[in-house]
Amino acid sequence: MIRVEELEKHFGALHVLKGVSLEVQKGEVLVIIGPSGSGKSTLLRCINLLIEPDSGRVFLDGTQVNRRDIRPEWVRQQVGMVFQSFNLFAHLTALQNVTLGPIRVLGTDPTTAGAQGRKLLARVGLADKADAYPAQLSGGQQQRVAIARALAMNPKAMLFDEPTSALDPEYIREVLDAMAALARDGMTMIVVTHEMGFASEVAKRILFMDAGRIIEEGSPEEIFHSPKQERTRMFVGKILR
Amino acid sequence: MPATFDEQRRSRVRIVDILLAILVTVGILAYILDVLALRWGLSTAYIGRSYPNYLKAAWISLYVTTIAYFIGMGIGFVLGWARSVRTLPLARVMAARRREAVAAADGGSPGAGLFLGTLLVYGIKYYVRRTADAYVAIIRGTPLFVQIVFVWSAVLVFYPRLDPLVQGLLAGVIALTANTGGYQSEIFRAGIQTVHSGQVEAGRAIGLSRWGAMRYIVLPQAVRLVIPPLTNEYIGLLKASSLLAVVGSVPELTTFGRSEAFQTFHIFEAFALVVGIYLLITVPVSKVVEWIERRYRIPGLGIQAPRTARV
Repeated sequence: MIRVEELEKHFGALHVLKGVSLEVQKGEVLVIIGPSGSGKSTLLRCINLLIEPDSGRVFLDGTQVNRRDIRPEWVRQQVGMVFQSFNLFAHLTALQNVTLGPIRVLGTDPTTAGAQGRKLLARVGLADKADAYPAQLSGGQQQRVAIARALAMNPKAMLFDEPTSALDPEYIREVLDAMAALARDGMTMIVVTHEMGFASEVAKRILFMDAGRIIEEGSPEEIFHSPKQERTRMFVGKILR
Repeated sequence: MPATFDEQRRSRVRIVDILLAILVTVGILAYILDVLALRWGLSTAYIGRSYPNYLKAAWISLYVTTIAYFIGMGIGFVLGWARSVRTLPLARVMAARRREAVAAADGGSPGAGLFLGTLLVYGIKYYVRRTADAYVAIIRGTPLFVQIVFVWSAVLVFYPRLDPLVQGLLAGVIALTANTGGYQSEIFRAGIQTVHSGQVEAGRAIGLSRWGAMRYIVLPQAVRLVIPPLTNEYIGLLKASSLLAVVGSVPELTTFGRSEAFQTFHIFEAFALVVGIYLLITVPVSKVVEWIERRYRIPGLGIQAPRTARV
């Protein structure tokens, strides 16, 4: 479904990605962990081309998509993204947040988009919040609207960039539940997160990244309980404690 | 619904407030009238007779200002956007492209068209940005008075045969448009840059184009943020339109008032009318904008309802 080969990215003098390759099958959930500054977020953004990689190839369904003859907007329509800080459109209601993409990008007529939007909001448990503005929602509710917004584009895969890191502890559960439900429905997902419970429960594979490289890959059991690399052991030791 | 004790008390307080305000205003007006009419011999007959002519002159001020303001808004938005875009020096971009092309060369040779495209896209971006910077520097760095005189003399030189009124109007509108365009670009730049970058990123992530993100996400938020400074700019521009008096051939409010003053020698009456009419325009404009602001206010975004002091 998603394949990445030898991604390289520099920000000025900073070498953020140093030849990262990975592959995710259809319906698979891949979790990426690693210390901050290790390039996880950059990697996600290179996959939906929010950031243009310096070199390397990104494949979606077997087609290389980081080519000049493919519009990055077209790629982003098919790969949904959920951000750490929600980034709900502050001037739109929850429902308008969800329907903006279908109406303005896909050209869906507003009535149909509205009906779909309400269904999606119901799916993340927010049917009654359709007309609330982001500032009137809790962090957990905002993040669930953000998930619905990404789903509204009917994506082939979803990217989650630390979706619970900015949340108060009391709201983490509801977001993780929504994500787990999505995984059960067979969505292909790449999730950057430090929620070990979620990772063990939902992911088959975990990648550990550090300093722009993938250091280790394995099942949750292997990564959390018997990591092979010293750096993985140190990192996991810190977050499990 | 029965009013609570607190509400009743507050409404009583409000009535007292209003009465006090009216009393003070009437007192001040009476004093001014006394000074002007009785001690200086202000001719109310002149005012009553000629105020329609002043209103006509005010319409010219209003037209010139409004036309310049809205054309300037277009210029301001484009320049402001250009100035908020991050650009890179061309040499750096080309060097990066060359590196990339060499890296990709095993899959085929890089076409010259690719380089040309890059040069075009980044070159245009870079020079548009620099031009916008220079424009704003020139507009902000020189007096509006000088700008008007300069444009006016240019019009006189290039179109010497035009009617003086048309020459004056042309010069006035061009100078005011150029000026407000420069100032509004700074307002728009501030507005655009205040909208959190995550908002654009989220918009781009659902597949919106650069323009789409601007149109549907940044602008609706930025405009709400910059309504107060934009109003300020309009009022400022209306007042600045009085500088067209230097041109002389455009009978806008100040020009008209001045010529009346020195032809009829009703000097105080003339300028009292001019001042009064400027206020008559600017005060309602701010009130209308306040209403618009309230009407389009969104919870949690930008300027919130002002906290009023409770007695």
